[in-house]
Amino acid sequence: MVRYLITRLGQALVVVVLVTVIAFLILHLLPGGAARATLGKEATLEQLAAFNHDMGYDRPWIQQYGMYVQRLLRGDLGYSYQLNQSVVEAISQRLPKTMVLSLLSTVLAIVLAIPLGVIQAVRRNRWPDYAITSLSLLAYATPIFFMGLMMIILFSQVWPILPPEAPQGFTVAEVLADPAGLVLPTITLAIVTIAVYSRYVRSAMVDNLNENYVRTARSKGLSERRVVLRHTLRNGLFPVIALLGMYLPALFSGALVVESLFNFPGMGQLFWQAALKRDFPILLGVTVIISIATVVGALVADLLYAAVDPRVRLQRSAS
Amino acid sequence: MTTLSEAVRPGAVPDRPADADEAPVRGLWRQGLVVFCENRLALVGLGLFVLLAAICFLGPLFYHTDQVHTDLTKVHLAPGDQGHPLGTDGVGYDQLGRLMLGGQTSIIVGLAAGILATAVGTIWGAVAGFAGGWVDSAMMRVVDAMMSIPSLFLFMLLAAIVTPSVSMLIVIIGAFAWLGPARLVRGDALTLRSREYVQAMRGMGGTGGRAVRRHIVPNAIGTVIVNATFQVADAILYVAYLSFLGLGVPPPAANWGGMLSDGLADTYSGHWWLLYPPGIAIILIVLAFNFIGDGLRDAFEVRLRRR
Amino acid sequence: MIETSGRHTPAAGGTQPLLELRDLDTDIALRRGTVHALDGVSLQVMPGETLGVVGESGSGKTMTALSIMGLLPPGGRVSGGQILFEGRDLRSLPADEVRRIRGVRMGMVFQDPLTSLNPTMRIGVQVGEPLRVHERVGRAEARERTIEILRRVGMPRPDRIVDNYPHELSGGMRQRVAIAMALVCSPRLLIADEPTTALDVTTQRQILELIDDLREEFGMAVILVTHDLGVIAGRADRVAVMYAGRVVETAATGELFRSPRHRYTQALMEALPESAIRESGEHARLYSIPGLPPDLSRPLTGCRFAPRCRHVTDECRTTDVTLTAGEHQHACLHPVPAEPAAPVGLPTPARVEPAPDPAGAPAGPAEPAAEPVLSVRNLVKNYAAHGRGLLRRTAGQVSAVADVSFDVGPGETFGLVGESGCGKSTVGRLAVGLEQPSAGQIMLDGTDIAGLAGRERRRMHRQVQLMFQDSYAAMNPRMRVDAILAEPLEIQKVGGTAERRARIATLLDQVGLSRRVLERYPHEFSGGQLQRIGLARSLALQPRLIVGDEPVSALDVSIQAQVLNLMRDLQRELGLAYVFISHDLSVVDYMADRIGVMYLGKLVEVGPARDVVRAARHPYTQALIDAVPSVTPNPAAARDGATIRGELPSALNPPAGCRFRTRCPLAQDICATEPPLAGDAHQVACHFPLRPESAAAAAPAGAIA
Repeated sequence: MVRYLITRLGQALVVVVLVTVIAFLILHLLPGGAARATLGKEATLEQLAAFNHDMGYDRPWIQQYGMYVQRLLRGDLGYSYQLNQSVVEAISQRLPKTMVLSLLSTVLAIVLAIPLGVIQAVRRNRWPDYAITSLSLLAYATPIFFMGLMMIILFSQVWPILPPEAPQGFTVAEVLADPAGLVLPTITLAIVTIAVYSRYVRSAMVDNLNENYVRTARSKGLSERRVVLRHTLRNGLFPVIALLGMYLPALFSGALVVESLFNFPGMGQLFWQAALKRDFPILLGVTVIISIATVVGALVADLLYAAVDPRVRLQRSAS
Repeated sequence: MTTLSEAVRPGAVPDRPADADEAPVRGLWRQGLVVFCENRLALVGLGLFVLLAAICFLGPLFYHTDQVHTDLTKVHLAPGDQGHPLGTDGVGYDQLGRLMLGGQTSIIVGLAAGILATAVGTIWGAVAGFAGGWVDSAMMRVVDAMMSIPSLFLFMLLAAIVTPSVSMLIVIIGAFAWLGPARLVRGDALTLRSREYVQAMRGMGGTGGRAVRRHIVPNAIGTVIVNATFQVADAILYVAYLSFLGLGVPPPAANWGGMLSDGLADTYSGHWWLLYPPGIAIILIVLAFNFIGDGLRDAFEVRLRRR
Repeated sequence: MIETSGRHTPAAGGTQPLLELRDLDTDIALRRGTVHALDGVSLQVMPGETLGVVGESGSGKTMTALSIMGLLPPGGRVSGGQILFEGRDLRSLPADEVRRIRGVRMGMVFQDPLTSLNPTMRIGVQVGEPLRVHERVGRAEARERTIEILRRVGMPRPDRIVDNYPHELSGGMRQRVAIAMALVCSPRLLIADEPTTALDVTTQRQILELIDDLREEFGMAVILVTHDLGVIAGRADRVAVMYAGRVVETAATGELFRSPRHRYTQALMEALPESAIRESGEHARLYSIPGLPPDLSRPLTGCRFAPRCRHVTDECRTTDVTLTAGEHQHACLHPVPAEPAAPVGLPTPARVEPAPDPAGAPAGPAEPAAEPVLSVRNLVKNYAAHGRGLLRRTAGQVSAVADVSFDVGPGETFGLVGESGCGKSTVGRLAVGLEQPSAGQIMLDGTDIAGLAGRERRRMHRQVQLMFQDSYAAMNPRMRVDAILAEPLEIQKVGGTAERRARIATLLDQVGLSRRVLERYPHEFSGGQLQRIGLARSLALQPRLIVGDEPVSALDVSIQAQVLNLMRDLQRELGLAYVFISHDLSVVDYMADRIGVMYLGKLVEVGPARDVVRAARHPYTQALIDAVPSVTPNPAAARDGATIRGELPSALNPPAGCRFRTRCPLAQDICATEPPLAGDAHQVACHFPLRPESAAAAAPAGAIA
């Protein structure tokens, strides 16, 4: 187990390093480069050269990357001239709020997806299964912002019970103080997640219900309820933990759209506005931070999975 | 895990003499076709796709509209007004004609990006899977790294750097959506490599090249094709997201995602015809590709099912 | 031992049957049509008796068990008849009541111990669950009783095992857990569905004995469902033979095996390899039942065995035959005459005692005086057991094959027998060049194959071919049979299109398949047909040697006989040599001229088939022979003999010296040093061989310490 832990940590570290390399390459190898991007189209060649020299961008790439990593390790992600604040500061204001949104919608999704998936598996190939499957597919095929808009039209216009805009609070506490405003963004972000998770739970449950051990459990005269809840559900849910980690990138992508739509002051919105204004220090900083969050999240999910599922635990500690 | 051996045969087996006996494949094709056709949703999906594609690509031949020049005298006409069945938008474009034009972009970008992603991913995954060892580890770590950057962030970063055109969109999406197929193909290559029929072939003195050509590729291609249909659906959604976030194709070019985002602005003004038609069109085409993918999966799987 | 006295008590009249099936019909609805899996099955089980239900796959034996337990697969339902348990019809009782009865009064043990336990639940929780649910016992008491029941099924250290997970145990141990789980509420009836099929023979024996002991101890009845006539013969009081969803014959065990009446039962017994081995050591041709069992989704009339029966008349095809009345019931219009002097084809038991060898020259084929086709010298294969992690440190070596040497002469069959994990399959894979040996030589026709490369290596593959256990897995599911058969010819660049096609036609004739198979895909064939196609592919290059890795182990007895006969015919016709690898001693005994016995990577005994099987010299060989269930119903004999106990040690760190010494009843200090493989024709690697080399086998019988 310890060895697995170390291996997995090592892998995660390699991945993080690669992420910084990719981000670095994107910024510095594309036409125009950072100078053009930062100074805009009107900048003269002399200005560009001076900027490049100041920033060290005229040195060899390896050296540049070294400097970049050094700054990264010092917690220096650069400075946004457009926001007039450091990237770290901008991100640290927004990150917790994105985390709150992601967490709330994930919790909501899990709470709804598990029973839905179980119902589908137990009633498989009958109408509840077909109904939920159709809805999941529909949710999956609908662009999130369109879905969000439907929500706004439905719950803010036709039947005005919820505000169409997310809370604009500066701190997490202020955001949480306006729960009504959080409802629509959370639900919108959760809907696709529910579709994905319930499909996964369904197939995991179906697979498990066809396992021989389920027949053994039934041969003990257990009620169907006990067979499903005590035997199959446990085994079907363990892998969902790992799925939580794998789903993080999609979740953050969804948050980006939802934050933009509901004007929620999180990382996604910050990133969106930076993209429109070509504010590269922010773009790069957010990309790196969100990727690290993804890697760490996936790592935690993986380790948790290995810790709770005896099959994985033994397999990983044995080999 | 499954496949369309026939899809690869003609080119992949050059050393094989053309043999009249070797028309076998029709048998498998037909079996798969039967299964696909038995899946009503798959047929619905295929029908939907054909219908939408026909409307978008053939429609303009019969339904002529001016999608280049704006006409500020005919802004926000309601459906049916002055011979505009779906009304006009904020700059006077005919909405139905625009849907056709936008659909062309969405379908082309979706198909091209999906195919590009599948191709890149297949090659990457296949090389990693066959090479094994540290090459495999290194290649898969790169995939891990790119996968941990949420794709929409990556697309926006790129779209912010280069101004997106239709072909640029294809490249951007295609260049970063291949990670899923890469993982899939690598997994397939690893399992197929150790199959008993590959061992049996080696026991006859066959080479690694033959194993790849005759056994591994034909058995992995099904997974790849099924996945490609889902990639197309995803790509269409990505285009919509980029458009919504203001980084789509600039006007006068149109795509459904962009039209839908533009329609968002009209939510409160009651111009529903600018909002729902593109939204529904996107949902339909994405559903269509998902149905087709599910149907193909069944079609490929059934052939492996024993008795 | 009082084993015989207990067996006849249930026959005492007046007692009510514990379980009675009356005209049971079971249907399974599949996507395309309904399979009538059971058709009018009637059976009785008396309290305390063991009923054996025997049949081939698709006969309905497992469906019978599952119908009783209410565990039919999705789409399955009992559509007619009664299931009377202790006088009450389970079909008419409320569902909750039935569930309770099944949980408390019945218990079931399934075939595959690897998958039939919940992998994420501790053993103790799983075993104790029925107590908690049905008897509402507290946690602590349930644990107490679980430990107790685990002790009674012979688990070592039950108080620690309760906290383990299933995959921490070996197959045999898991099956003990499954039995404990079935017995924890002290049921009246235990249904064991192929309980030992997935286990090695020595473990099988332990498990069967355990079930026997527990039956007496608990005074319960047992339904033993199996395909293996030998298992039934040794353990059951009465036997029901099933075919195509019906019971075709039922009788007391001794009676049935002595004098089968139904033509199917008779044919089944004649198809057993052990029935074809004569006392003299000559091998008669096996009787093989032609054709395949009927498709149960179609309407059937008349006797279901009629299309495959030697004694069929028109009447058989039209008249529905029902079981006769009485103790020995059968459903056959033209039964085997009752109590014939010597039942047709039934063996005079070949293996009752090691017969003193009639002096004389061995009757086998030419001794390997000619240059051997295959010569294996000091073969070693080690696998590195890798640790995970960046450095991939080698955690140790698995010694799969350790210093194995043997020769196979032209036209000879060399049988390689041993339990799972003994390295026999690895030897096979090494011999055909699929893997590289760690040390030692493999000489094909006098050439060491290790030194070959390129074209020479490719040509080497013409000489030797591998035949797989699961031909379906060994054929690309996307290739038609013509492409599959042509592949070896293409690889070896033999002939042009026309010649290849002609060659394939010849191959089909040789294995008895019609040309029509060429246009079909592997999934369209049955197991026996696939094995024929596999054999045809192996023959395509006209090899001199075929290595068969468990080639008939997945087949039913009647189909197995077809394939074994075919292999022998082809051997005679083409002068092939075989290395026949199997865990099944009776099949190897039937097929092989000489036998090698492997244990944990070592060849412990080699000799002429007759001598090895009838006058084994190594204690392991003897234990293996004793453990093989024989159709000769002789329960007393089945219980004697020194059974080996315990579990196979890990090949990661095998015992030094004689690898069998940790389980050997004769082991002494000297066994820590490695015994050489000594002897002339009948060699053994043992410090204390059970008997000297027989006079016939060796002229100088001296080489024993």
